[in-house]
Amino acid sequence: MNYLFQRLGMAVMLLLAVSALTFGGMNLLGDPLFNILGPVAADTSNPTSVAKIEAAKEKYYLDRPLPERYVRWLGDMVTGDFGVQFSSTGEPPVTNLLKERTPRTFQLLVLAQFMATAISIPWALIAAARVRRPTDRISTVTSFLLIALPNFALGIILKYLLGIKLGWFPLTYTASDPFFSRLHQLILPALTIALPAAAVYQRLLRTDLVTTLQEDFILMARSKGVPRRRVLVRHALRPSLFSFITVFGINTGALIGGSLIVETIFRVPGLGSAIVEAILREDFPVVLAIVMIATTTFVLVNIAVDLLYSVLDPRVRR
Amino acid sequence: MSDQSAETGVTVPVAAEPDRVQRRIGIGFWLSISWIVLVVLVAVLAPWLPLKDPDANYIVSGTRPPYGPSWTHPFGTDQDARDLFSRVIFGARTSLIIGFVAISFGMIIGGGLGIIAGYYRKWVDRTISIVMLILLSFPALILAILITSLIDRGLFTISVTLGILAIAPVGRLARAATLSFADREFVTAARSLGASNGRIIIRELLPNVVIPMAALALLGMAVAIVAEGGLAFLGLSIEKGFTWGKLILYGAGARDLERAPWISFAPILVLFVTVLALNYAGDRIRDYFDVKEISL
Repeated sequence: MNYLFQRLGMAVMLLLAVSALTFGGMNLLGDPLFNILGPVAADTSNPTSVAKIEAAKEKYYLDRPLPERYVRWLGDMVTGDFGVQFSSTGEPPVTNLLKERTPRTFQLLVLAQFMATAISIPWALIAAARVRRPTDRISTVTSFLLIALPNFALGIILKYLLGIKLGWFPLTYTASDPFFSRLHQLILPALTIALPAAAVYQRLLRTDLVTTLQEDFILMARSKGVPRRRVLVRHALRPSLFSFITVFGINTGALIGGSLIVETIFRVPGLGSAIVEAILREDFPVVLAIVMIATTTFVLVNIAVDLLYSVLDPRVRR
Repeated sequence: MSDQSAETGVTVPVAAEPDRVQRRIGIGFWLSISWIVLVVLVAVLAPWLPLKDPDANYIVSGTRPPYGPSWTHPFGTDQDARDLFSRVIFGARTSLIIGFVAISFGMIIGGGLGIIAGYYRKWVDRTISIVMLILLSFPALILAILITSLIDRGLFTISVTLGILAIAPVGRLARAATLSFADREFVTAARSLGASNGRIIIRELLPNVVIPMAALALLGMAVAIVAEGGLAFLGLSIEKGFTWGKLILYGAGARDLERAPWISFAPILVLFVTVLALNYAGDRIRDYFDVKEISL
C-alpha cells in the first residue's frame, strides 16, 4: 500500500513537471494572442483592434503572469476542463474535440496491444519449445527484421499487399460507419502497430521461457507425466511473463507515438491527426491536452504493470 | 528440445545449456559495416558521381510519368519523372546528416551527464536522473513534435531535437557503465596518485564507457533516421530538400501506391537495409564486448 502511494506521488510529480514544461514552452515560444485573434493581434494602431486585444487578454487571462495562468489551467484541467480551442472561427471547448477523437485512438491502441499479445505468446511458446532448432532460428530472424522495419514502411507494405492487392481491408476510416465496419477498418492500422510490438514481446518472452524451462519444477512436472504442451502453457508461461509485462508497459509510450503516424497513413481521425492539426494552427490548449493524455496514460499503464507483478509473483508483494 | 535420457526415460523439455554469447564477430557484422560504409561513401560523393540530376524531369515525350524501373532509371521515376535512384542517394545525404548529428548530440550531452551522474553520485546523480526520467516519460514522438513545431523545421533543429530524445537512453547507459567502473582499482589508484576529478573522468572512465556507447550509437543512428521518417509522415520533417522519409511519403497515397508502388518501395528498401545494417552491427558490437542490456 505504502509502495503504491509512493508510486502515485512520483507519478503526480512527473505529470506536474511535464505539464509545466509544456505549458511554459508553448507560451514562451509561441504567441497565444496571435493564435486567438490572427493578424488583428499585431495591429495596435487601430482602436477597435486594441479593444479586441484587451478583451482577449482579459478573457484568457493573458495579462496575468505565467505561473498564475499555469495554476488556473491546472485547476481547470484537474476538473476535466481543458479550456477552449484557439481558433478564429469560435472557441469550442477542447473537451468536445477530445471526446470525439480519443475513443478512436484508444480503440486502435487496445486492438493493437491485443493483437500483439495474441500473436507473440503462441509465437514465443513455439519458438521456446523448439529452441535453437530451425523453427526457432527462422522466428528469431523474422522478429529481428520486423523490429528493424519502421512502422510507416510496414504500414505502406500492409496497405499495398492486404489493402490494394488483396483488397481484404478498406484503406480509410469512415467515422460514420457502424461499429463493426469501423473495427474492420481499424484492423490494418492496428496490425501495423501490433507486428513490431509482437516481435519485441516474442523475443523477450522466448528468452524468459527458455530460462524457466530449465527450472527443477518443470522437470518435476514432466517426470510426473504432465504432457509437454501442458507444462509449457500451464507451468512455464506464468513465471516467464515478467519482462513481457514490463515492456508491455514501457512500449505503450512508443505505441502512442507510433499510432500518430499510423493514423495519418490510414486516415484515422484520432488524437494523432488532432495534435498535428493543432500544432500547425498553434492551438496550444489542444496540444497541451493531448500531451497530457498521452503522458498520463503512459504513467498509469506503468503503475498498473507494477501492480500486476505482485499478482503474478507473490514474492514481490510487500 | 527433448533429450531422452536412457536411465530415467524423462523427456527434458528444453536443452539445458543457456543462450551462449557469441565471441566471434561474424560475417554478418562485416556485411553490415560494408553496406553502411557504401551508403555513406555514395552519399558523401554523390555530387561527383555520374548520377542523374535528382531534380530534373526526364519526361519521355508522348508518355505520362511515373515510369517503372528500367535500365535508364534503375528504381523508376516518380510522378514528376524524376529519377528515383539519384533521389534516394541524395536523400541519403540529408537522412544520414540528421542521424549523425542527432546521435552525436545525444552521445555528447547524454554521455557527459551520465558519466557525471555516475561519478559524483549523491545529489548530482539524483538531479540528473530526475531530468532523464522526465525526458523518458514524454512519449518520444510527441516531444519531437512539440519542439519542431515551436522552433522551426530546419535541418539543424530537427537533428538536435532527435538528439535530445537520445539523451536519456544514452545517459542511463553511460551512468550505469560509469557506476560499474567508478569503484575499480584503477580509478582508486589514479585518485591516490593525485589525479583530479576531471582527469579521472576523461583518462580513466571515458575510454571504458565509450565501447558500450558505440554499440548504442549505431542503434541510435538507426532510431534517428527512422524518427525523421516518422516526422515526415506527420508533415513535420525538414521544409527544404528531401529525405528518405519524405521520398517514401511522396508515393504513399493509395492511388500512387496502386499504379506505381516503386515510388515508395525504392526508398523503403534502402532505408530498411540501412536500418537493418545499423541494428545488426550495433547488436554484434554489444554482444562481442558483452555489454549488458542496460537500456533500449
